[in-house]
Amino acid sequence: MSTLPPHACRLRVRYAKDGRLAYLGHLEVMETIMRSVRRSGLPFEVGNGFAHRMRIQFSQALPVGASSKGEYYDLLLSEPLDATVALEALKEATPTALAPNAAVILPRRVPALEAWVDLSCWDVAVRDSSLHAPGFEDALGRVRDEGVINYLRGTKPRSIGLADTLVSCEVRDTDGGVDLVLHTRSSNRGALRPAVLVKAVCGLAPLRVCRTGQWHQDDDGTLRDPLAEGQGVLLP
Amino acid sequence: MRLPRTDRYAELEPLLAQVEHPSRYLDHEWGACDDQRGPFHACLIYADVYEVGQPNLGLAILYNELNQQEGFSCERAFLPWVDMADLMRERDIPLLSLETSSPVASFDLVGITLAHELVCTNIVETLDLAKITLRATERDEDEPLVIAGGPSVWNCEPVAPMFDAVLLGDGEGAWVEIARYVRDAREQGVARADILAGLSRMAGVYVPSLYDVVVDDTSTRWGYAVPRPGSGAPEVVYKHCVNDFAATEPVAQTIVPYMGVVQDRFAVEVLRGCARGCRFCQAGMTYRPVRERPADQILSAVHAGLRQSGYDECSLSSLSTTDHSECANILSQLNRELSGKGVRVSIPSQRLDSFGVDMAAAVGSSRRAGLTFAPEAGSQRLRDVINKNVTEEDLDNAATNAFRSGYRRMKLYFMMGLPTETDDDLRGIPQLAEHVLALGRKILGPRAKVSVSISVAVFVPKSHTPFQWAGQLPLEEVHRRQQLMIHAASDRALRISYHGSWPSLIEGVLSKMGRRGFDLVYEAWRRGCRFDAWTDQFRFDAWNDAAAAVGLDLQDVACEEFDVDARLPWDHTSPGVSKGYLQREWRKATQAQVTADCTRTTCTGCGVCPTLDTSNRLVGERA
Repeated sequence: MSTLPPHACRLRVRYAKDGRLAYLGHLEVMETIMRSVRRSGLPFEVGNGFAHRMRIQFSQALPVGASSKGEYYDLLLSEPLDATVALEALKEATPTALAPNAAVILPRRVPALEAWVDLSCWDVAVRDSSLHAPGFEDALGRVRDEGVINYLRGTKPRSIGLADTLVSCEVRDTDGGVDLVLHTRSSNRGALRPAVLVKAVCGLAPLRVCRTGQWHQDDDGTLRDPLAEGQGVLLP
Repeated sequence: MRLPRTDRYAELEPLLAQVEHPSRYLDHEWGACDDQRGPFHACLIYADVYEVGQPNLGLAILYNELNQQEGFSCERAFLPWVDMADLMRERDIPLLSLETSSPVASFDLVGITLAHELVCTNIVETLDLAKITLRATERDEDEPLVIAGGPSVWNCEPVAPMFDAVLLGDGEGAWVEIARYVRDAREQGVARADILAGLSRMAGVYVPSLYDVVVDDTSTRWGYAVPRPGSGAPEVVYKHCVNDFAATEPVAQTIVPYMGVVQDRFAVEVLRGCARGCRFCQAGMTYRPVRERPADQILSAVHAGLRQSGYDECSLSSLSTTDHSECANILSQLNRELSGKGVRVSIPSQRLDSFGVDMAAAVGSSRRAGLTFAPEAGSQRLRDVINKNVTEEDLDNAATNAFRSGYRRMKLYFMMGLPTETDDDLRGIPQLAEHVLALGRKILGPRAKVSVSISVAVFVPKSHTPFQWAGQLPLEEVHRRQQLMIHAASDRALRISYHGSWPSLIEGVLSKMGRRGFDLVYEAWRRGCRFDAWTDQFRFDAWNDAAAAVGLDLQDVACEEFDVDARLPWDHTSPGVSKGYLQREWRKATQAQVTADCTRTTCTGCGVCPTLDTSNRLVGERA
């Protein structure tokens, strides 16, 4: 088990992924944020491993091309710091399209962010004028009945079970296609990508995907905001 | 035809989801210059993908220098990978700049880096995708002026027809001067031909269209270039040389890429030039004299660069960093100051004879991943022939210091096909590596995981070096010698890898040819060759077919030896090193006589200092 110095604290940061930076891959986002943290001058913890890496944890990967209103990372700081001060420093040092918009100080020991945040909400715009809500819903129902989507990721065959991962999907007609509000759940068995679901339902179509929120869902169904238990600041 | 300057990102954006690594095409990186109002617009192009071109220090230096000038703006462009290039052609989207997504063909001035010989077909691909007329002499009045520069300009003849001008030597100052000249001339309505004539009078600027190629009894079959009568162009164009290197900006890299790039770290150029005199090394001849940056400037640049960029690694870069008079002090001070911050200090390669105990401790700070040395040849005789000036004792000492400092992995670079090479010299390569392996096991214990690998490249004779007259090894002989080396290795822990012999042959061909080589380059591109430096894209069969189509035989070209007194295709461009010096060095090589390093002894008469009115500038005594 890793040990933390007694004065260390955990800063949880919420940031957006927007504009053309939606096309960054997860590793690229992580590296960019780590460089932003270094530029910000915040006193971060460094691990004791071979590479002496920054102690930072990220929430689940966002697909390349998807934007987000709320992604998260936890940064271990080597000394106590006010969340407002930390947030301002990070904003100054981060590319605008990845700018942080909230930060809280959390207890040192909390569950790992990537596994703990397990429920996502997505806005998906499917732009194909031949699509209409009733037909899409029918096709979605058939895919749901099959229970599993088999797909290719690159050249590798993958499959994802819908019973565990697809929580809900609202469909409504819009100009030039349909808009979806999708709720998905992730676990160690996998996560459902909106593009995979849409392709299974209606084939290839131009998409715009935005993750609008992430939560942890307790066993009793209660949704918990990743920032709710911390002390900090949310910017408008 | 000049294309209109408009933002065409909206046309590119839908393609991003369909290509590999869309982050290659995004711009908006931390440190990129947002203000691109101009009104004079230049674009710097590295004719390879973003992750290869973006770390290029020369590009960063010139980008910042021009963007700091009032009224000038400078953008970047890279060659899209094949998937994106094909989609762009399909949708009729021309090559775009990164910063404003404007067509490259809408710029006033375009600079292209000649990074190495295998980039030749990529330059054709770049201009074609950009919709810029391929041959400079056929360009319209208002088309961009296309100027080459970079480390591989020293035989630019095979690509010269594509360039309006070629900048030889250091770019600092010269790039801005060229831009100013072109801006003023354009404002005054000066004709394109007259602009080129004016450029040819500037220091270090070679204008290929002002020279005729003559083939006669005094030349090789590729001929030599002479100024056109009445053109006013100089007989020999000498390189542009920055004497006061310390006055140049030490923090050149200001852009922090989103994607992983080939040198993903902050780099400070600690010195320029190398006077070791390795006879195969083109950079060693063409970057002279040696100019060191002061230690305090390096230290403050590292701190400022890391602070501004957020990198967790900095590299002290140069042709031979451990030769810097203050190298050990700089390394130890940096390690002390950066301790506990998770920052690594690295140097690109280490010389065997200057890798002492202090250096072993200081390089790489607390990470002990691996070290790379370049003995280059397997026997002392051959190392003397190439003037490497390192001994087996140097290798012993360096390896001992490295293993005692905790390193377990070592990589050794060698070349095959060097002039006068024998089978015994080749057998010496695995023997030397096995000796290092044994040394590691002795120091670290028999159970320690000591790893030694050797990488063997094919020697390619380069222009403006003492070996420029040599022929390259034929393919069949390369393969025989590779087998010989593999069978000479007895320790199975030794890993041997080779650079591809086929790309090396093309490199040799393009290093040897004159202006007629453009026919081959164009024909190869027409047959689908691009990204030739990428193993998975290189197509030797297409190059072979292209050669046959233009009446050439690749091996015949690469393996040809030149007469020492012959006029060579590149004699009209000069880095300042005299041909007499190169001839002397060639003769000394055949007798295995070495020449000393002029930064440690006296002048060796290479001719650079008097020709360019310059001198070595060291900040201290070299060890």
